[in-house]
Amino acid sequence: MTNTPVSSKPAPVTVPSARPAPVRRAGGRAAPSQKQRSTRRENLAGYGFLLPWLVGFFGLTVGPMLISLYLAFTSYNLFTDPEWIGFDNFTRMFTDDPIYMKSVGITLIYVLVGTPIKLAAALGIAMLLNYRDAGSGFFRSSFYAPSLIGASVSVAIVWRAMFAANGPVDGGLSFLGIQIGGWVGNVDLVVPMMIILAVWQFGAPMVIFLAGLKQVPQELYEAAEMDGAGPFRRFRNVTLPMLSPVIFFNLLLETINAFQIFSSAFIISNGSGGPGGMTNFYTVYLYKRAFADLQMGYASAMAWVLVIVVAIAALVLFRTSKRWVHYGGDS
Amino acid sequence: MFNRHKTRTALTVAAIAVTGALALSGCSAGGDSSGEEGGAVTLDFAFWGNDVRAAMYDEAIAAFEEEFPDITVNVSFLGFPEFWEKRQIEATSGGLPDVLQFDYSYLRQYSENNLLLDLKPYLGKEIKTDALSDQILGIGVVNDTTYGIATSTNAWGMFQNPKLLEQVGVEAYPGGGSWDDYKKYIGEVTTAAQGAGVELWGGNDYTGRIQNFEIQLRAEGDSLFTDDGEPGFDKEQLKEFWAQGDDIRQGVAIPQQRLEEVYPVSGFDAALTTSELTWDNFGAGYLGNLGEAYTELGLVAPPVTKEGAKDLYLKPSMLHTISANTEHPKESAELLNFLVNSPEVGAAFGTNRGLPASTTQLDGVELGGLDEQIRDYEESISDRLGDAPPAPIVGYGTIEEKFRLLGTDLGLGVLTVDEAVEQFFSELDVILNS
Repeated sequence: MTNTPVSSKPAPVTVPSARPAPVRRAGGRAAPSQKQRSTRRENLAGYGFLLPWLVGFFGLTVGPMLISLYLAFTSYNLFTDPEWIGFDNFTRMFTDDPIYMKSVGITLIYVLVGTPIKLAAALGIAMLLNYRDAGSGFFRSSFYAPSLIGASVSVAIVWRAMFAANGPVDGGLSFLGIQIGGWVGNVDLVVPMMIILAVWQFGAPMVIFLAGLKQVPQELYEAAEMDGAGPFRRFRNVTLPMLSPVIFFNLLLETINAFQIFSSAFIISNGSGGPGGMTNFYTVYLYKRAFADLQMGYASAMAWVLVIVVAIAALVLFRTSKRWVHYGGDS
Repeated sequence: MFNRHKTRTALTVAAIAVTGALALSGCSAGGDSSGEEGGAVTLDFAFWGNDVRAAMYDEAIAAFEEEFPDITVNVSFLGFPEFWEKRQIEATSGGLPDVLQFDYSYLRQYSENNLLLDLKPYLGKEIKTDALSDQILGIGVVNDTTYGIATSTNAWGMFQNPKLLEQVGVEAYPGGGSWDDYKKYIGEVTTAAQGAGVELWGGNDYTGRIQNFEIQLRAEGDSLFTDDGEPGFDKEQLKEFWAQGDDIRQGVAIPQQRLEEVYPVSGFDAALTTSELTWDNFGAGYLGNLGEAYTELGLVAPPVTKEGAKDLYLKPSMLHTISANTEHPKESAELLNFLVNSPEVGAAFGTNRGLPASTTQLDGVELGGLDEQIRDYEESISDRLGDAPPAPIVGYGTIEEKFRLLGTDLGLGVLTVDEAVEQFFSELDVILNS
């Protein structure tokens, strides 16, 4: 099966001399041998298979990204040609757009408060579910279910109805003697409501935590127990360090996701970002600037600032991770 | 043997990939717009609406094709936001349909970018103008050129809910009067409703709507925007206007928080208020949202800032325009004329597109109920009707929405009037200078 030069068609002796001297690579052989040709064909076939993806990647991802990078420095309303305005979009963003700063503020609150709570909830429930008997599979699936449907439009609509005045949440709290009315129209309560919605969708990190928990060797717990460690100490000194790579992975993923919150906020506020701009999260505001106001240049600039901020957040997490993430057996 | 096989596989893969790439990049043949059903000319026509309106257009287009057997019309429709998203993309690629149902707020943008056909050569010929008043014909004019013909008009008015008023025993607002009179009425209803233990208010904070600001400006001889697209008011005027709402925002008008919960419908739609100022063609929508328990509405004139002011005006509810790059301008003009003037179209639509502007089309409409009420209302305010303002500036939709949002911020108490005024002018600055 190996393709040696002598296998089927021996190359005519005259050919090499009839051509200009073949280019030699460093320490290379005379080009192109049949083996190389077949490698090239294999490569060609490989690229052929890749072509549909490559077309999509360059035509639908890289191309538009580069164009949006250019548009970020222009004023562009879709109708007239983009007009180069240098850094004006960025200056406006940071010095002359109070709505932008407010949008950044509530997005940061959402990320910084929502993500840790969500991860804590996911880890807590994963630990409760980390046992094995007849019902465990059922409970795991049940707890994961909200995350499967959580991103959908219908859940946001249900959420809106649940937290409205005289809705189930308001009714339940009134029953307990807490009269705070509806959450959806309340400037102070709508962000907490959005965070609760996010936390409720803890399923994806929970499943990953569960997998991580199963990897923690039982003998570590046994050893700790023999040394007299109680449940809290076992959690702090065994579970957490052993789980730290998984925590890191979840933290990174959930942080990046949280920055991009869009559909639930868009649906709950009916696209208005209200009440009082409290659901006007970064991507909601970006969408409105682009598609309602047709300020494509400004929206592109906003998008690139988001990319950079998310990249920095990821970088910071990676940097600090060296201090608190322990890869078993490494040290 | 092995190698040749692989070559063939590679070629097949490449062929499939290239075909796929072509399909992806949209190289399929575009639809040729001629020679269907034997018609010599085929026109594309697009509108926004729903199934109900689509059935009406089907009827209207069938009547048109009967009269002009050589013209075939391809009709397509979408909801309002999608309709404009699609048009924006077509506009940038030069592929607008021949004839369009058109919204006033986009007229300046499209005409100033040379996307619409100058209708002048067709006026009085293909497009009959006898049945249209000068006021109507003036609506479709941008920079002295006619780009569109209005199908129908609306005026600003005040709707009231007689059934809710009866429930709390308060007389309906008589119409006109001062803005203070109106605020007093709102207060009376709210107090009566609180006494009766009903969740009901007399109205919303009217300073949240830019149209109320506009009619106050017009009463003083000013305007929202001047003919050259500059703001026709200063910060002080806007501050004064928003400050008018200070007292009714303290629990007299419906609280903004309650409105947020029913948004996108209004407090009036949700039977939470007894009055609302809006365009007079909103009646059918209100009745639809209020549900079967409500069968009639009151419609009276808004408060007036200065007696004798010409503060109100007729606004087109929609226009018809022709794309500048149509290959069949004459036939398109015939279609536009038919849609605007023919009694057949009037019979098909009733007042679905508003009260027909063309008298010949109005003749085809059988008026009844709310439609008759609207016609009577527009007649009753004729003394207050002034010239319509110039076609909205580019970006007017954004400005209107910004005004509304700042109004909700004021209602929620997250902004002071001064802050709101600063934000509005900063936004205005961006839009006017982009």
